[in-house]
Amino acid sequence: MEALGLHLPQLIAQIVGFLVLLFILSKLLYKPLLKVIDERSAKIKESLEAAESAKEQAAASQEQMQEDIRKAREEGQQMIAQARDVAARFRDEEMAKARDEIAAERAKAEADIQRERDSAIEDLRQEFAGLAISAAERVVERSLSESDHRDIIDRVLEESGTIGKG
Amino acid sequence: MTRAILLVVVIALFISIAGGAVGNAFGLGFLGAPMAHIQLPAEPVIPEPLAKTDTAFIRDITITNTMVASWAAIILLVVVSVIVSRKASTVPGRLQGMIEMVFEFFLGIGESIAGEHARRFFPLVMTIFLFIIVNNWIGILPGFGTIGWVESPKKVLYHAEEKAERAGEHVDLAHVDLQVFEGTGALVMLPPGSVDNHISVEEYERGEGFDKESQTPGLLIPYLRSANTDINTPLALALIAMVAIHWWGLSTLGIFGHVGKFINLKQGPIMLIVGLLEIIGELARIVSFTFRLFGNIFAGEMLLIIMAFLLPVIGLIPFLGLELFVGFMQAIVFSVLTLVFASMAVVAHNGEHH
Repeated sequence: MEALGLHLPQLIAQIVGFLVLLFILSKLLYKPLLKVIDERSAKIKESLEAAESAKEQAAASQEQMQEDIRKAREEGQQMIAQARDVAARFRDEEMAKARDEIAAERAKAEADIQRERDSAIEDLRQEFAGLAISAAERVVERSLSESDHRDIIDRVLEESGTIGKG
Repeated sequence: MTRAILLVVVIALFISIAGGAVGNAFGLGFLGAPMAHIQLPAEPVIPEPLAKTDTAFIRDITITNTMVASWAAIILLVVVSVIVSRKASTVPGRLQGMIEMVFEFFLGIGESIAGEHARRFFPLVMTIFLFIIVNNWIGILPGFGTIGWVESPKKVLYHAEEKAERAGEHVDLAHVDLQVFEGTGALVMLPPGSVDNHISVEEYERGEGFDKESQTPGLLIPYLRSANTDINTPLALALIAMVAIHWWGLSTLGIFGHVGKFINLKQGPIMLIVGLLEIIGELARIVSFTFRLFGNIFAGEMLLIIMAFLLPVIGLIPFLGLELFVGFMQAIVFSVLTLVFASMAVVAHNGEHH
């Protein structure tokens, strides 16, 4: 053992030296540096998480935006459809109104015409009746039988009727 | 291009061989110095004992060159850690980044081997790694093993006699070598081209082979020697590591849980013997921890000494690289084994859960 150089005081000196080193390094090197390493890994983790959440947020907001755009488009389309609807209804209403008005005007005009015609026919009839009477009077002067008389009147009336209707 | 590099390498190798011990045989040896004295025990840096008492233990207390080297490593580490921790920030500088890389390596393996205990084991494992690697690496710096004081021939002879006595032999004075240094100062080193500057004690006693006025014979005792070439340092580390490992085992599993692994009376005679074998295994771990580190680094230093003798200055360079690698590997092996043993110690045997 002595030939190997084993020597108790030297062994103790080395043990003490190493323990002193262990103590000093623990306090001076390991503690602060491990703290720094831990802090850094915590920071990295934190920033990774932050990045992750930012990404999620961005995705969410994009989705929201898409949704908004979709909604706006839908709304626009709805509004256009509504407008088209209103316009169509308005047009139909107006057309119906116009048609009614026209029909009414036409009916009125027709009625007027009818009336005019009726009165004209009446006038004519009156006139023909007068004519017929005068004609009859003349015929009578040539002394006609009762039946001839009637015959002539009817014939005249019939002729006048065809005039009125014609 | 590659041919030019090859040529330079070959020329450098030839210069190295010519300048070393082989070249010396042919009258060259302009770079070499005599082979440094190799001995296992660490040498004291102060020739006299620190305290003059009769108590053997206190008289034995000396400051050895390996202690100086290990304290230099400790001071270096403390200075570096002060510099780093003062400027510690979440955005690391270069030095902090380098140290953090080592930290994260050990935290990484710690978590894969020891899981939740990684943080508990970390300071010791990390300190073992840093202490060993810094010691190994400063141990191959120039000046380690080459600058020192001169042990007088009388003392050299005394030590040689002591050693021979232990082995039951007689000292052959012609085979006890002394180096011859230029000058008479306290601080010496061997200059290049001094391969022949050594004499035997026999020659010294006859007053031959050196100039009394301008030269000093004796042995160079270096002021600095790589701490792990002294068995006390690896043994100290191994003891600390094993005590810590068992302390962690005890504090995690409780006294019965931990001691029960080694003295197992409940599960029959086979498990009792297995437990006893585990005790032997634990003791073997101390020995293997110690001699793995000591053997590698001591052998590395011997290799460097011999290469400095054979292929001085130039041929030495690849071996310095090799020693850097060995020093790194030993630091890794010691610290990772500590981690592995610690994580084994905190796990109960036979699937018992605490």
